[in-house]
Amino acid sequence: MKRVRIGGGQGFWGDSPDAAIHMVRHGNLNYMACDYLAELTLSIMQRQKMKNPKAGYARDFIDLMEVIGKEAFEQKIGIITNAGGMNITGAVEALAETARQQGLHGYKIGYVTGDDLMEKIPDMIAQGCKFENMDDAGDFRDIQDKLVNANVYFGREPIMECLREGADTVITGRAADSAMFLAPLAYEFGWKEEDMDDLARGIMAGHLLECGGQGSGGNFQYDWRGVPDMDRLGFPIAELTEDSFHITKAPECGGLITEQSCKEQFLYEVHDPANYITPDVTVDISRATLTQDGENRVKVGNIKGKKKPDMLKLCLGYHAGYKVVTYLSYAWPDAYEKAQYAADILMKKMKRKGMQYEDIRIDYLGLNALHLDVAEIDDELIKRTNEVVLRIAIRTKDKKNAKMIIPEISPLQLNGPPGASFFGGRAHVTDVIGLWPTLIPRDAVTLQSHILEVE
Amino acid sequence: MALVYLNTLAHGRSGDKGDTSNVCVFARDPKDYEFLKKVLTVERVKEHFGPMVQGEITRYEIDTLCGMNFVMKHALGGGATHSLRLDTLGKSMGSAFMRMKIEVEDKK
Repeated sequence: MKRVRIGGGQGFWGDSPDAAIHMVRHGNLNYMACDYLAELTLSIMQRQKMKNPKAGYARDFIDLMEVIGKEAFEQKIGIITNAGGMNITGAVEALAETARQQGLHGYKIGYVTGDDLMEKIPDMIAQGCKFENMDDAGDFRDIQDKLVNANVYFGREPIMECLREGADTVITGRAADSAMFLAPLAYEFGWKEEDMDDLARGIMAGHLLECGGQGSGGNFQYDWRGVPDMDRLGFPIAELTEDSFHITKAPECGGLITEQSCKEQFLYEVHDPANYITPDVTVDISRATLTQDGENRVKVGNIKGKKKPDMLKLCLGYHAGYKVVTYLSYAWPDAYEKAQYAADILMKKMKRKGMQYEDIRIDYLGLNALHLDVAEIDDELIKRTNEVVLRIAIRTKDKKNAKMIIPEISPLQLNGPPGASFFGGRAHVTDVIGLWPTLIPRDAVTLQSHILEVE
Repeated sequence: MALVYLNTLAHGRSGDKGDTSNVCVFARDPKDYEFLKKVLTVERVKEHFGPMVQGEITRYEIDTLCGMNFVMKHALGGGATHSLRLDTLGKSMGSAFMRMKIEVEDKK
């Protein structure tokens, strides 16, 4: 019986390459998919590309392929990644150069273009597309002139096209995370549009793998102390046949695969479990099962698929102002009171100087900066607190107002309550990029699959 | 009766999509699942989070996994990068949820 093993090599842009390298060498893989794109990553990449036309993709992927590209090619492990970001051809050229240097003759790089719809937006507006915000937030006309990027989430088909053309590696932009995993599975098993339960299995394989270590013991609330060897955490691997689906990991690495580790990832960023919408299929996991089936091996069952949605999700990034975050630390005695007083002084000063802001947040790290209203604080805790860090964050419409607060922070060491220590360096202004998710008709999108062969 | 943190009876994880946070909550012991379903009402969760969660909360049940999924809108202070919170992605919303105090029989 045909069996396909696919690994999740990267969970985000900036992830450790260690597990990906390990699974290529010891995971007995057929494929590995590497996810680099979170919701706002493309906006960041677009801004990098505007500064440097050669940037705008996840360079980490090229660095990873310098280590494992040759081994993967020789062992016929197909690699699929969305590392292309906002500069897919840039990523392809960089990878081709790496492959040339390693003498990988005949190495085929497939790539998919067409998810970047930025240039089409004016036409779509003219055609009556409303770009209504999926989260019922605001009016599109207010952000229309501030767009940074516009990328549509797409499904398996153009990736499969590259695989059919013999691609060893496929590079995309905004493929849906799970489509990178579904594509090779649907290609290997010959799943058709009507095989909706199978497509749904492929999506959930991707879902359990796309966050890398978070699917194998990382960020594990159930029993984080019980996760073996987190210093060499292995990432999850999905093993599928025509009628079975398991999650496991490579031998000789850390981490664990248990019912609980799979459960925590299973519903991660899922909303309605009976209608988990992807470009390829609407997945129903509302009656799914996860069963331990040996050490570091979990069987996944009863995943159902329903008709795919008529619309595709388009994510627009837009300029939404500026932000400054700054810190000052205070120690016992009266650490909290001193920090509060410093915040008070600062706010009075800024008011006098006429600083205009959209929003402000004052938090106390060590007390309530993470759990906010849910944090339990009482007089006894405050009295005994060894140290707190005052954190002030402001958001402004323009850069000028954001800059005003920066020179006022460090003087508080000498001009404010005692014992303040300024840390994290002088604050700087960062751009705020807003996210505008919307739905567009499928026929507004044309994707192209290409192959580049290294000679 | 005794008060315990939900953490002792359940585990879960939080994730983000824009300004929406979801927390999945699973019974540590399947025997407690029905009890948790009774206790963890939308109203109770809304009360627990207070002004941290500004929008609507929806609860979904996945009985086969002894779990529930809570989807909370306008829960991340505007979401990344709009949010001025330290935890813009709500990575700690899961543990904040587990801080809820639950009344149980003394033997627990």
